[in-house]
Amino acid sequence: MDPVNSPLGRMLLDEITPVVMVLRTNLVEESCQKNGLSLIEMLSPFCAFNNIDVPVRTASDQPYRIQKFKLRLFYASDIQQPNVEVAKERLKQAITHAGEKDYSDLCSDPPQIETVLASTQSELVPSWFPFFNKELVHTVSFSDHEALDHPVACLLVVSSKDNEPINKFVDLFNTDQLPSLLNDGAMDPKILKYYLLLHDSQDGTSEKATKYLTEMRNTFGSNDCGLLCINSSQDGLFEHQENPWALYKTESSPSQRLGCFLNIDDMDELQNSMQDLSSKHIIPHMEQKIRVLNQQVSATRKGLRNQIKNLWWRKGKEDMPESFNGLMYTFSSIESQIRVLADYAFMLRDYELAVSNYRLLSTDYKLDKAWKRYAGVQEMMGLTYFMLDQSRKEAEYCMENAFNTYLKIGLAGQRNATRCGLWWAEMLKTRDQFKEAATVYFRISGEEPPLHSAVMLEQGSYCYLFAKTPMLRKYGFHLVLSGDLYKKCDQIKHAIRTYRGALTVFKETKWSHIRDHVHFHIGKWYAILGLFDVAINHIMEVLACSHQSKKTQELFLRDFFQVVQKTGKTFEVLGLQLPVIDTPSLKVVFEDHRTYASPEAVSVKESLWRSLEEDMIPALSTIKSNWLDLQPKLLPKKHKESNVCVAGEAVKIEIGFKNPLQIPISISGASLICEHSTRSDKIEADATSLTNENGNNDRFRNIASSGECSSDASSFIVSEVDISLGGGETLLVQLSVTPKLEGTLKIVGVRWKLSGSVAGFYNFNSDLVKKKVAKRRSKMKQSMTDNLEFMVIKALPKVEGFIRHLPKTVYAGDLRSLDLVLKNPSAISVKNMKMKISHPRFLIIGNQEVMDREFPACLEKKTNSDAQAKTNYASDTVFQFPEDALIHGETPFVWPLWIRAATHGNISMDITVYYEMGDTSTVMNYRTLRIHYNLEVLPSLDVSFQISPCSLRLGEFLVRMDVVNRTSSKNFQIHQLSSVGNEWEISLLQPIDAIFPSELLLAGQALSCFFKLKNSRKSVLIDDENSSTAPLEGSDVSLSHRSHDLLFDICRSPLVDFHHSERVHQGMENQEKSNTVDFILISRQQRSEGDSEEHNSLNILSHHACACSIASTSPVWWLVEGPRTIHHNFSASICEIKLRMTIRNSSKDPASIRIDPSDSTSIGNTTSVSSGNEAGWYDISLLNDVKVTSDVLGTRSGKSLSRECVSLFIWSGMSSNRIKLEPMSTTEIPLQICVFSPGTYDLSNYFLHWKILPSNEHVNQGDGTRQSSGTCQGHPYFLTVLQSS
Amino acid sequence: MIVCVAVVGHQNNPVYIQSFTEADDALKLHHIVHCSLDVVDERVNNPKKSGPTLNETFLGLLYPTENYKVYGYLTNTKVKFILVTTDLDVRDADVRNFFRRFHSAYVDAVSNPFHVPGKKITSRTFAERVSNIVKSFGLSSAG
Repeated sequence: MDPVNSPLGRMLLDEITPVVMVLRTNLVEESCQKNGLSLIEMLSPFCAFNNIDVPVRTASDQPYRIQKFKLRLFYASDIQQPNVEVAKERLKQAITHAGEKDYSDLCSDPPQIETVLASTQSELVPSWFPFFNKELVHTVSFSDHEALDHPVACLLVVSSKDNEPINKFVDLFNTDQLPSLLNDGAMDPKILKYYLLLHDSQDGTSEKATKYLTEMRNTFGSNDCGLLCINSSQDGLFEHQENPWALYKTESSPSQRLGCFLNIDDMDELQNSMQDLSSKHIIPHMEQKIRVLNQQVSATRKGLRNQIKNLWWRKGKEDMPESFNGLMYTFSSIESQIRVLADYAFMLRDYELAVSNYRLLSTDYKLDKAWKRYAGVQEMMGLTYFMLDQSRKEAEYCMENAFNTYLKIGLAGQRNATRCGLWWAEMLKTRDQFKEAATVYFRISGEEPPLHSAVMLEQGSYCYLFAKTPMLRKYGFHLVLSGDLYKKCDQIKHAIRTYRGALTVFKETKWSHIRDHVHFHIGKWYAILGLFDVAINHIMEVLACSHQSKKTQELFLRDFFQVVQKTGKTFEVLGLQLPVIDTPSLKVVFEDHRTYASPEAVSVKESLWRSLEEDMIPALSTIKSNWLDLQPKLLPKKHKESNVCVAGEAVKIEIGFKNPLQIPISISGASLICEHSTRSDKIEADATSLTNENGNNDRFRNIASSGECSSDASSFIVSEVDISLGGGETLLVQLSVTPKLEGTLKIVGVRWKLSGSVAGFYNFNSDLVKKKVAKRRSKMKQSMTDNLEFMVIKALPKVEGFIRHLPKTVYAGDLRSLDLVLKNPSAISVKNMKMKISHPRFLIIGNQEVMDREFPACLEKKTNSDAQAKTNYASDTVFQFPEDALIHGETPFVWPLWIRAATHGNISMDITVYYEMGDTSTVMNYRTLRIHYNLEVLPSLDVSFQISPCSLRLGEFLVRMDVVNRTSSKNFQIHQLSSVGNEWEISLLQPIDAIFPSELLLAGQALSCFFKLKNSRKSVLIDDENSSTAPLEGSDVSLSHRSHDLLFDICRSPLVDFHHSERVHQGMENQEKSNTVDFILISRQQRSEGDSEEHNSLNILSHHACACSIASTSPVWWLVEGPRTIHHNFSASICEIKLRMTIRNSSKDPASIRIDPSDSTSIGNTTSVSSGNEAGWYDISLLNDVKVTSDVLGTRSGKSLSRECVSLFIWSGMSSNRIKLEPMSTTEIPLQICVFSPGTYDLSNYFLHWKILPSNEHVNQGDGTRQSSGTCQGHPYFLTVLQSS
Repeated sequence: MIVCVAVVGHQNNPVYIQSFTEADDALKLHHIVHCSLDVVDERVNNPKKSGPTLNETFLGLLYPTENYKVYGYLTNTKVKFILVTTDLDVRDADVRNFFRRFHSAYVDAVSNPFHVPGKKITSRTFAERVSNIVKSFGLSSAG
């Protein structure tokens, strides 16, 4: 860029121009004031020439023409260094003034970063910066260390009205009034003078003036005098098309028309006289002076001789104290003259001459250590280089040098440093070195008072923005710094402006610390200005600052409330972030035909309920069983998909309120915002919802705010909830709305009040796209809006139900009788009630007659047990209440239930009650009530059974029962053991007192006892069909010490039902019964002292062990009988012993059996380990002592024994026997062995092979599961043969 | 003394920033670190011509403010490490050494399977390790 056209160039051409000192009389000023102008103001527009076209010849012989020229006019009184304080005040006013002007767009949103980057300098940078900079530069004018501001000429103006104008002229140039610059010798007092006589045309004709002029010409010389006539327009109504003074007059009052008495002639005259002054007097004078000075300088300083002399001379001066520096150089000193020469050359654009002289001068000053002057010269040198547009490096170096030197000399140079810095920065900006310029601004700001420094920082920040690669972060940072300083100086508007700029950078940043700071402060400042809306918007941005420290959060919140309070009303905020609404947690609970007894029931999966209700709910097709059905009964098709709720029944919304802060906040009046429309205006609502997003928001706002006032009269009731959230807490809040009228209800959002002063709204609709709702009807892919829209139908009866006295915690096996209570508060009755229970193992439906009986007496065995109570195995199917069970009104309907805690753990029980409306004209003709309970079941008794065949008798078994009390504190009393089924008979082996001296089973105690189990089944075939359906019978053994205790009847409901479910659960239902036994152990829980059991009597616990298999898996039982001890005289003969084997086929099919006595040598090797038989046993060290008897099949002990009996015996009489056995029949086989020597023999070394021969009708059945053949090793049978004497 | 260290993600998001001063100047340090990213960007976009700096992770002195010196380090994944120190006489070797250790601590921290890339590092172990590295800054070679 051409330096002349650059901002700096223009500034220099403007600022570094010859100064003309103006002296005038009061009358002159009076005449000018008629136009509302001072003399200088009047002349100023005519002192700037764009096309003066004057030839100039300076030191060289080559003349050149200058076009642009300007004179600066100053009153003599103003030619002095401006007072710092006054200057500061003026600058401050300039800034404040600028701030007022920019005020208008402060409230708008900060621009986007892209637009900022795209905008040009002039668009973005405030226009008052150049003005401010100029003012700042002016504060250091008229310094004595440079000749730039030294007056070149003196303009003396006297009015024609003045008495004796000639004398006035002389008086004016009185040294007393002259500026100190002229007086103290800083500049040559012999100055070019121009005498101007001002004639006010209103005071008469110009004759007198002309006379005076001639007089003046005679006195002061003909050339240096002039006459100026003004105020030729008599009426003062002259209008100027383009008022030339507007630019120069800063505070023009609109009423005052500037230059109203000056007509075109006057203006021409003004222009002519000023041009005359410039071209004919000032410029030639300067030329002249340059030439003279140049000659002098050449004579004294140019040439080798002079230089050496100069050096020598300077050296001599080195000892001079520094304090004389200021006064060392008078106007007559060669240094000052060089300076004047250089400055004049600069003003006349002979930059080559200027720079050579500046260079010359700078070495001198440097040697003299006259730092301020040195810096001044360096500064000018830099500028001259710039104007020459050459050696950029040099120019920059000079500026930096000057800047640093000014700073070095401290306070005296500070302001000059600022000016130098400004020029330097401008220079860098011209050369696109914005980053460096920014650094310079930053350096200036360090030296300036806060307010100026703020302006400098702001200018610097824009430099970062306009740098080749924009440095946005630095831009933002410097704006923030600048804003802080503005704020410090109470320039809030400027502070806001800078922060707004910073916000464009920081708005989207993840550097939350910085962003929060900016938002918070700008918000506070807006509040100071009273722009509360904007203020709150900004502060709200930082409210949910979970990352900030607690202290900061408190501060933010406190200030926020302060601002809100200042507004004086409850402020309404859409999308208030305190608390955060956790939309994913939104859950809608409403009851259409599904109703819930408790909130827990709602949380059970819908699919679970569905499967439970499958059988009860009539299919859709059955609803409209025939086409004659009334049409209105069905829902209008349109609403098929929408949710249905019933008038008068609350729709509940569960939503999470989350406090992101560490400090507690209080929320009051949280409620839903709803929209209700009767069906007719539904269409209209649809139409409005089609409008765009913005419209939607507005509408939402309307609804939100209107809802508040009209809720009492409206068609729905919303609940209000007050909560207080601790730091970081999330609360699930249940809000409900109860529609009162039919129509459409739409839940739009949620409203709350924060700390009682700020109303927050949240529109569910706003971000429906992202959100998935945990909806009951999850299958439907509906948008959330639809999900929150309900069709309200007429009020319906709604049955409520609960289970009375259901304990929270029970012990496993606990059996109780409970009541299901159903209530229908509405007047319309319901009918056709059905019920289904999810866990028949735990809960079964009782009979009504049980109601009146005492528990547990109803379970006890009656001697005259009248027929069998009917069993309802069908409890896993739907239970139909009696037809007459119509409930309505306040009288509750009670139905008995049995509960038995089958296993320990947490059990959830679901019950569905189906009912139909008594009144068939309703839209909905059935509903279901869903009841859900959770039950914690603690372990109580562990019962296990082990059965082994009795070795002595066929068909008899030894049952060992192990009971362990698993509780930690409860004692149980074993009451009764029953075997189920009529084929088994159980009896005690010993009296109960002997095996179980203490009546109670204490906590942690284990007990084993033995029973005899006898297969009582007659060998006669019982037809199978009967046996499975026949009522269960059983045999019971009382384990109670008190003989009067009645036994419980296991064949009655509910025990039998529970036993059935237990069997079903254990998967044994279809098992062959002959090999398994079911046991029921009934115990009672002993009440400990102080145990305030709410319940009436002892708790009864039943433990069911199903399908305990008898030890042998083979259907073939056998028993070897014979003598155990024999005395025989071996000397006489070998001993032959007769044995008898009884074999029974217990299966339903005939079996083929082969007895195979093995070779006796293989005894040692028969290692058929039958550890599998020990299943069901677990090692309890306590039981070791009784183990011997249990090892009936014990091959282990058998083995050890067999090793001892070395002597042999031989099976005689048979080698292999094969027999066929009919089902359920017994046969006997004689056996014989020969013994050769006395000893003890184990006769188990035979094998029994058996094979079931399937009868025809059973061919296909049970083959997979049942063994059809097998081999058994013989039972141990010990025989002792003694030598008889 | 090191007054602040920071890890800045490849999208110039703050991943970890920790100051080690008593004074309440967190905001200032945030700004300084944030601004230094401009310089990092500049360095990355206008790499010096000379060869050995081709794969150099250490960016050197980013910019001297009045009271601080800011050093930078750029990993291959464009994660930046920033060091702000008040020491005016800092040896390059010390800073390099610091960054090398800091880098390995960072790598260990983000290797944690529970760390979400790009999210702030909240690991206490990492914080401890960093503060140890900071404490030992300049000691290894100086003492």
